[in-house]
Amino acid sequence: MTFRSGRRAAGAAASLALALALCACGKKANESATTIRFWQFWDVGVVAPIVEEFEKQNPGVHVEVEQLTWATGLEKIQAALASGTQPDVCELGSTWLPRFSYEGVLEDLTSVYQAERDSFLLWDSAMWKGNAYGLPWLQGSRALFYNRDLFRQAGLDPDHPPDTWDELLDASRRIRALGQDVYGFGQNIGEKYVLYKKFMAFAWGNGGDVFDAQGHVAINSPAMVEALEFYLKLAPYSLQEKQEVLDQYFKTGKLGMQVSGAWNLKNYALEAPNLDYGVALVPRPAAGRGEHASFAGAEMLVVFRGSKQRDAAVRLARFLQAYPQARAVSLAAGSVFPASREAMDDTTFTNDPRVRVFVEQSLTSHTPPAHPGWVEMEDVIDHAVEECMYGRRAPRWCLDDAAKQIAEIAARFDNKQGTTP
Amino acid sequence: MKRRVSPVVWLLLPWALIYGAFFVFPFLFSFVLGFLHYNPLNVAGTSFAGTTNITRLLGDSEFHGALRNTLFFVVGTVPVTTTLALLLAWLLRGPMPMKDALKAAMFLPSILSMVVIALLFKLFYAPGGALNETMRALGLSGHGWLTDPHTALPAIMAMDVWAAVGYYAIVLYAAFTAIPDSLYEAAALEGAGAWATFRHVTFPMLKPAIGFVLVINTIRSFQVFVEVLVMTQGGPLGSTNTLVMMLYDTAFRRLDYGYASVIAYAVFVLSGVFSVFAMKRMRSQTPEQTRGLPA
Amino acid sequence: MKRVLRWLLLVAAVLLMAYPLGWMIAVSLRTPNGIGLRYYGEVWNAGPFDRYFLNSLVVAAVVVAGNIVFCTMAAYAFARYRIRGGKLLFFLVLSTIMLPKQVILVPLYISMQRMGLIDSYWALTLPFLVDPFNIFLIRQYLLSIPTDCEEAARIDGAGEFFILFRVVFPMLTPALAVVAIHTCLTNWNSFLFPFILTNSTSMRTLPVGLALLSQGAHSIDWGHLMAGAVISALPVVAAFLVFQRRIIGGLTTGMTK
Repeated sequence: MTFRSGRRAAGAAASLALALALCACGKKANESATTIRFWQFWDVGVVAPIVEEFEKQNPGVHVEVEQLTWATGLEKIQAALASGTQPDVCELGSTWLPRFSYEGVLEDLTSVYQAERDSFLLWDSAMWKGNAYGLPWLQGSRALFYNRDLFRQAGLDPDHPPDTWDELLDASRRIRALGQDVYGFGQNIGEKYVLYKKFMAFAWGNGGDVFDAQGHVAINSPAMVEALEFYLKLAPYSLQEKQEVLDQYFKTGKLGMQVSGAWNLKNYALEAPNLDYGVALVPRPAAGRGEHASFAGAEMLVVFRGSKQRDAAVRLARFLQAYPQARAVSLAAGSVFPASREAMDDTTFTNDPRVRVFVEQSLTSHTPPAHPGWVEMEDVIDHAVEECMYGRRAPRWCLDDAAKQIAEIAARFDNKQGTTP
Repeated sequence: MKRRVSPVVWLLLPWALIYGAFFVFPFLFSFVLGFLHYNPLNVAGTSFAGTTNITRLLGDSEFHGALRNTLFFVVGTVPVTTTLALLLAWLLRGPMPMKDALKAAMFLPSILSMVVIALLFKLFYAPGGALNETMRALGLSGHGWLTDPHTALPAIMAMDVWAAVGYYAIVLYAAFTAIPDSLYEAAALEGAGAWATFRHVTFPMLKPAIGFVLVINTIRSFQVFVEVLVMTQGGPLGSTNTLVMMLYDTAFRRLDYGYASVIAYAVFVLSGVFSVFAMKRMRSQTPEQTRGLPA
Repeated sequence: MKRVLRWLLLVAAVLLMAYPLGWMIAVSLRTPNGIGLRYYGEVWNAGPFDRYFLNSLVVAAVVVAGNIVFCTMAAYAFARYRIRGGKLLFFLVLSTIMLPKQVILVPLYISMQRMGLIDSYWALTLPFLVDPFNIFLIRQYLLSIPTDCEEAARIDGAGEFFILFRVVFPMLTPALAVVAIHTCLTNWNSFLFPFILTNSTSMRTLPVGLALLSQGAHSIDWGHLMAGAVISALPVVAAFLVFQRRIIGGLTTGMTK
């Protein structure tokens, strides 16, 4: 690593030229075959064998897999679309998909939807104006993690985690009373993209939603206000922090309960093997009222319009979506589950009591509304909930304001039509 | 000098070629975008926006907040970093034991990527993190540094000073070494004390280097982003939302590239104004060194 | 006494600055089965990291060499010649860093794509060969050194390029050391552009490889992340020690003795 003399620089330039030559001849070996480009977020080592199997079943088709990062994948997809070099098949998050559907850059996959609608969960976020533009591939719900030791110490039954809001509140209060640095419940605060997922679980459970059945903004409905008021009641007994901190507190046995995702199962097993904890469905408003709702994120497979290998691309997307392949990715990732209903009966998932809860939870989980302006609406909800949590304003006013802003965002998308197919 | 092609042309040629090939188009492109509604998912649907992006910016309360936060960040970090860097460089002069190791250690923070630093400090500031544990050991009560809207931005600023100061100290130290010893000897002969020597010998000779540090640090600080994205995403309650954080959200999440371009050019103009100001203040006072060529 | 105090002050400052790094190393070594290098091995074996490493080295070498030569040329022009419109031109140089790079991302990708340079070493090196920081740094440094030697050489009839590379260049070494280190650092840690501008595994640099490896969809894989950060920091620390010893160190003693 010395670059002091010109001679060294010349040497470096020579090795650069050499490397350029190397990559130039190594690259397009499969020019004659049909090449499909597939962009996705999982480790290539996990996806490569699956893709090889596809190539074996489809002679003459070559798949180039590329891994994106969660943090910057979207920028790359946008740059590729702007220059017309987008891949054929791509993985997209369910919060993003509606905007892509709306802008008309995706292939219409409604025929697949019609054939497969009962075999998979979470089609909602793939739908736009009655057509489907994505295939549900993987999904991850959030469920209630609770520390069984702390339950015992607080005189609670560790085999009966809270089922209703009242029980959740009571358990939080009793665990908080255990000590100065012990908290009953974990609430996300001070970070975007996460906060609304936790709050909306309670809102959905209470029958609230961002839009009502007629598509009108309903974020300030009585059910929503009630849910937010309850969420705030938990605050005195809660640790209000960022997700990493909540995870850290839970791992070290100082947090009684938090709503979080299945990735923690893997992490806790590795980092806190002695932690005695359980997983339960997110509590519902009351026995016999509402549902055990939660947030679910879905990873969808899409085919970009303009793909020269449309048929092969759709074939690949369907192959990946099919249960054996989704299951393989899910097991390797350890943080998501197949979107296929077959997972509900797979003993790999149902034999572990904690994993089974996640599988069960996904049946009553919700995805955010499939609206192209969702990413902006998400910010509005985050802000409204945060304002209440910081005690700036009352839930009613925050949600009324949020309703106004969400209506404005929605109107913008109604007026400006995307290039529809 | 004979009137062939001036050497200036040859000297500037490599820069001009690179700049022309890779930066002229992006600059023009993003400038033009400021007058368009453009999103990369629907290039065909691009429409003319006139000056609506600009007027929208002036009345946008999110922009006002981001501008306020960014200015606070710049004014609160640049002078502190520069002063501390100067102090460290000053302390480093002359022979001393383990000098190489000290310099290397000083430089260590700038070797790490900002993502890693920001992740580390997120833990450092957390309840149960090193800072709060230390405070508790000293009998103080802990604090949610990054979740309190009043302390989140100052906490990020403190981290930024920490991360940048070593780098600038080394830059200034390199400039220290360029000061001829004869000047110090002359000052010593005149019986000047340490402070007088610094004011009348060191500081004037360091002015170009300090000018560099001020300008570069100002430009960088106006673009503070990665640390915000990793640590707070602009929250809580918008208290750490900076101009480039807003730009990022506007472009890549809301897909409003036209508006994002206007924000980018606002950053451009602001850092340009501040840089010119800093350069004017720190102009070299040594005798005229530029050599005129017949025009 | 004063000297000792000054030294102790420095040591205290340095310890404060190095503290989080010690912490980082500690995190990378602490595995579930005690202290060990397990994460390092896992990181290195998780992908073609030797290739990533080589790519990073090649890119850093080319970019540092390019910057040392080209930036010195440009800085010399700005410091020593009165150029018509020089101020504007210099502003144009700095403008490359005054516009947030996020906004240049997509147009740069488009122009790279039109030139057919996506996914090549050209994409990783060409745009970064002349860093405005460096032009500025060298220019400022030049302003603080006297022009006597150059004038003497000029009177002897030396050409401009001879003066620049034989007379001025050696005097610039402290600044060039900073240039080399700065350039090395920025490019060594650069993630966004290399990630966006390349596609294939064989074109990945170390930061891209590490980012893809230690990312979790929702949680951070601390052990691997920190092990990766240490791995990628080591060569830079080594480079720094070599640079400052051979260049800054050598020059200082040369000047003071």
